[in-house]
Amino acid sequence: MPYKTGLTAAILIAILLAPLHLWGDEFFNLPQLPPPEGFGTLLINRTSVKKGMKPVVFSHWQHRLKYTCRVCHGELEFTMEVNTTEITEMGNRRGRFCGACHNGKVAFKANGNCDRCHTGDIRAGSEKFPDVVAATPFPRSEFGNGIDWAAALRNDVIAPRTFLKTKSSDLPFDKLLVLEAEMSMIPPAVFPHKSHTDWLDCSNCHPDIFNIKKKTTKHFAMAAILRGEFCGACHLNVAFPMNDCMRCHPKNKAGV
Amino acid sequence: MKQIVIFTLVFAAVAGLAFAQGGVKKKRIPPFEYGRVIINNNSSKIGLAPVEFDHWLHRDKFTCRLCHVDIGFAMKAGGTQIKAADNIRGYFCGACHNGKREYAGRTIFAACSTEFSKDDVKARCERCHVTGKNQKKEDAFYKFVEKMPKERFGNGINWEKAEEDGLIKPIDFLDGISLKKKSLAMQKELSIAAKTEGIPDIIFSHKKHTVWNGCEVCHPDLFVGIKKGTTKYSMPEIFEGKYCGACHATVAFPVTDCQRCHTKPV
Repeated sequence: MPYKTGLTAAILIAILLAPLHLWGDEFFNLPQLPPPEGFGTLLINRTSVKKGMKPVVFSHWQHRLKYTCRVCHGELEFTMEVNTTEITEMGNRRGRFCGACHNGKVAFKANGNCDRCHTGDIRAGSEKFPDVVAATPFPRSEFGNGIDWAAALRNDVIAPRTFLKTKSSDLPFDKLLVLEAEMSMIPPAVFPHKSHTDWLDCSNCHPDIFNIKKKTTKHFAMAAILRGEFCGACHLNVAFPMNDCMRCHPKNKAGV
Repeated sequence: MKQIVIFTLVFAAVAGLAFAQGGVKKKRIPPFEYGRVIINNNSSKIGLAPVEFDHWLHRDKFTCRLCHVDIGFAMKAGGTQIKAADNIRGYFCGACHNGKREYAGRTIFAACSTEFSKDDVKARCERCHVTGKNQKKEDAFYKFVEKMPKERFGNGINWEKAEEDGLIKPIDFLDGISLKKKSLAMQKELSIAAKTEGIPDIIFSHKKHTVWNGCEVCHPDLFVGIKKGTTKYSMPEIFEGKYCGACHATVAFPVTDCQRCHTKPV
């Protein structure tokens, strides 16, 4: 009974290693989704409250209508995790971070308009969402903002800018990857480079998140993704969420 | 099915714990810290803060070649094993920082000394041996950046264009140290084939590089340079700081700016 022995051993290891019971929970329980108008909206509070200000509300959908991800997460210095970018008032005034646009020329001035961002209310601005959706013929999707942003960009429904100050040539790379799933029952995931490079630079993902040496990215598994690693860096909170299984694993065994 | 799931999970968990390696994005170095080198061969041992050397502060005035060839600085932090005694004798930092040499009409402050007063510690020693946040230097950086052509990564400055447009005029010759040499005929721009299908080839310009580096910074140590294709290298090696990565990982525009090298139209 080598299979049973193996299973017993595996269960024993599972009991021995304390944090492991969390894995199952993480695996099967996807994070709860906010309403469409609140998906991708963050409260930034690295130092705000400590300095006597309310946290900043930032909504991705408002910004991605006008700018691709690479503008803020590449040309500007925004990291990929909330509260880890050292945004400061001085930085904004020098034209870094929010101040790159919120300078009174591109977008409303940060300086003197404190309350427009420091609302402390994660729902602030979400009241504009229905009007924007009604006015734009967005391709729809089932989860996240309810908008298929990739298709919206591909079909010129929106035309977000790809740079602020420095134009770089696009690097066209249109390779479709087929990634075998961990489990035998699940069809492989497909990864189109093109719909990612429409929004992102190579360096948004390579080599930090995914190695550039072929087939050397280790531990690229659903459990890690759900912890915010690999695809999860974007596809948990901002890009379409992983509830949308079939958008990555399109040939579902159920034949859908 | 359930058993398979549990088995897979446990296996993935054990493997995951064995190699805790995350697919997460690293934090970008702020523009004013890009190209910063911390030199601490001997400083801490004698109770001084390590030396904080900022490339941006020097590369608007001098070419790379001047320090890395004529003066003889290594290409890796700590690789030069600089001692105070060397600086006092006029080597390394002391080649310029000797209290005599001038730049743009101003005397360059002297580096190390065997005799110094209490005031000297602040005015001299701590200009290089600094600890903690240096707001003054950060302010100076942003003032400098204002006039410079912009770039997406690194210092946020397009140094190549700044030099081309005459906004900076880096010196390539030091009296008493450099030798006047005739420059060699330069190769034309050459293309280097990308190894991955669909990635544009690299267009490499000797002209753009020799302005800063002459021949000696790269040849023959980094690239043998006798015949094209003799030195074999790959992108992962470059990311590790080898070949192009000797400069383009930490000081010259970073390798993450893919499109700046991979420019040949497909």
